[in-house]
Amino acid sequence: MKIGFPRALYYFDYFPFWAGFFHQLGIEVVTSPPTHRRIMEQGLKKASDETCLPLKLLAGHIQALRDVDAIFLPRMVSVEADTYNCPKFLGIPESLFPAVPQGMPVLTVTLNWRKGKRRVLKDLTVFGVELGKSKSDIRKAFLEGQEWQKRYQDSRGSGWDFEESIRKIERTTKGLADLPAISSIPPKVQTIDRQRIALVGHSYLTQESYANLNLVARIRERADVELTEHVEQKEVDTHLLGLRKKLFWNHAKQIFGAGNKFVKDQEVDGIIYLSCFGCGTDSMIQELLARKAREQHKPYMVITLDEHSGEAGLVTRLEAFLDMVERRRAHEGNISTYGERLDRDSNTL
Amino acid sequence: MKVTFPHMGNAWIVIQTLFESLNVEVVVPPSNSKQTLTMGTRLSPESACLPLKLNLGNYLEAAKEGADTIVITGGIGPCRFGYYGEVERQILRDAGYDYEVVTLEPPDGSLLGLAKRIRYLAGKDNSWAQILKALRFAYRKSVAMDRVEDLIHAARPRLPIPMETEKLYHDAKRRLAQTMSDKGVQDTVRWVQENIRERQEELGTPPEGFQKPLRIGIVGEIYTILDPYTSMGLEEELGRLGVEVDRSIYLSGWVGNHVFQGLAPGYRSIKSYPSHAKPYLPHFVGGHGQETVGAAVKFAQEGVNGIIQIFPLSCMPEIVAASVLPKIQEAYKVPIMTLIVDEHTGQAGIQTRLEAFVDLLERADLQRGIGQTRGDVLSVEGR
Ligand code: SF4
Repeated sequence: MKIGFPRALYYFDYFPFWAGFFHQLGIEVVTSPPTHRRIMEQGLKKASDETCLPLKLLAGHIQALRDVDAIFLPRMVSVEADTYNCPKFLGIPESLFPAVPQGMPVLTVTLNWRKGKRRVLKDLTVFGVELGKSKSDIRKAFLEGQEWQKRYQDSRGSGWDFEESIRKIERTTKGLADLPAISSIPPKVQTIDRQRIALVGHSYLTQESYANLNLVARIRERADVELTEHVEQKEVDTHLLGLRKKLFWNHAKQIFGAGNKFVKDQEVDGIIYLSCFGCGTDSMIQELLARKAREQHKPYMVITLDEHSGEAGLVTRLEAFLDMVERRRAHEGNISTYGERLDRDSNTL
Repeated sequence: MKVTFPHMGNAWIVIQTLFESLNVEVVVPPSNSKQTLTMGTRLSPESACLPLKLNLGNYLEAAKEGADTIVITGGIGPCRFGYYGEVERQILRDAGYDYEVVTLEPPDGSLLGLAKRIRYLAGKDNSWAQILKALRFAYRKSVAMDRVEDLIHAARPRLPIPMETEKLYHDAKRRLAQTMSDKGVQDTVRWVQENIRERQEELGTPPEGFQKPLRIGIVGEIYTILDPYTSMGLEEELGRLGVEVDRSIYLSGWVGNHVFQGLAPGYRSIKSYPSHAKPYLPHFVGGHGQETVGAAVKFAQEGVNGIIQIFPLSCMPEIVAASVLPKIQEAYKVPIMTLIVDEHTGQAGIQTRLEAFVDLLERADLQRGIGQTRGDVLSVEGR
């Protein structure tokens, strides 16, 4: 049996778990190719206008899965205790049925860590039994999945590129020789005269280089880049403490916690928040983080992507921002960012 | 301490009653208006949803009347609303408003914490028995409010002079707001009933060929459903077009579920919706997304002529619901229209779309009358 896993949305954080899970069960998993123009176009056609870019991309990737026996669309309600994923994750797969090709079966299972490990295992077991697997098979597969996920998470600090780390994990766990060190991993030592810019946002935006018009590479031309994923969980947690009420979205916690750390980090010269139109959780978090940045006079910019985002607009704004950061570095922070509030309004590309 | 709270349709009547029966000073913010929205939008993040912008506007207007404490309800997600309190507090603080924000929810699941907050609001002079009594009375008032609204929904398409019906509604609300006794509450409902009956009698028997009004079910996000300013007077407008409306959520149903944690059913319980939604959306998605789907199924089964879904731009749970509604439209052959509102929504735009929709339903109804099915007149615009 061969199942298709769309290279979108939860792919960017949770694919290792599912890859390990299915690998152990002896089920082949194929992913759709990296996003390209046609995938985006197909997605726009089949997703509702009002939804956000990542879901439109998901709709496109679902259609891009060829030669598979079924498409796997898990309902990932929650990935850790006391949090949820965005409501839109909860409505998958139903809300994406229109994108599924006629006659193509959809496999789904609910993953809800709010209810604890036993419940997760139970749900996976019910799912596995449908696939003709035994209870003990599922248990093993679950552990394998967790192992893969852990390796991926542990590699965050050093691993640069998600795709690369996945390949690496896959190879080591399958007992193949490790790949030679990946050349694209940036040197850890900071080159003294380069700026250091933190890019925060949903993984499926920051890592989705087609949709974000190659933003990471563009920033790297002029600066060293820090990502949300590079911040250790412990640090994320400490930087959440100032909130009166706990955030209840998993991604939002990561973004705000990491962002808040970057705000306070003297080594970081500026922060770019990558968001997309119609993102409900970002609309809140971006506001909270902007406040923190303003308090600390840290240069801060929000980039809001949508399907019409053009390169020209992005380049202009990015250049302007990096120039501003440069000037500030030259003047040792004597310029107030209030005069250059780039975080509000007209952040459309 | 002077307490204020955000507007949501007629909810103010109930909330005001609650605080007044506890002798807590309360400021009802001026009704939602263009000014409220403008003021609120200025402070809000651009991409926040419409209710947040109006909430902020309410607080600014209430501050002018001396309010210093905000009471709102909370939640633990995944809908954004659950995090409003904290974001609003920070925004207000930065804008120089020294508001205390009290969120009525168990903080980190602690009921004791909730009790403390209630105690903080109610002050020392009220016993728990008094607090409970006040809550119960406010709740009964909300049920009465819902009954009045229902009567008005029925009256609008049936009584000849819209102005009179609106006046009746207005007076009823005023009476409900003022009365502090159960008798007064009951009397108001009865008074509305009698008024409507009298006017119908004046009309005499309906003429030959009198058609029953069309029926439309309204589903969607609670704030936009309950707040006529936000919905551009959706219900009134439909009533004027000769439609009897019904809606998925009434205030008391929400209060019963949200505030009393399901201990009180409300005038119309929303409990059955998840099971109705099951074939189309088996999992809850936050907010009232699943309820929207369930209510649409229920309305369709009851044979309404059409369904309207309304929600604020970018509302996450409702977007999920919107993407499964076409299936219900197909399964039950019932036209469904989606209305999305934000601060740029114009009265004229909504009106045109409502007229077109009602037009479509009328034609469909006529066809059904002469023994035809409604066939494919279903490609209603809106998505
Ligand atoms: S978190 Fe935002 S971007 Fe992600 S799926 Fe939800 S609304 Fe879309």
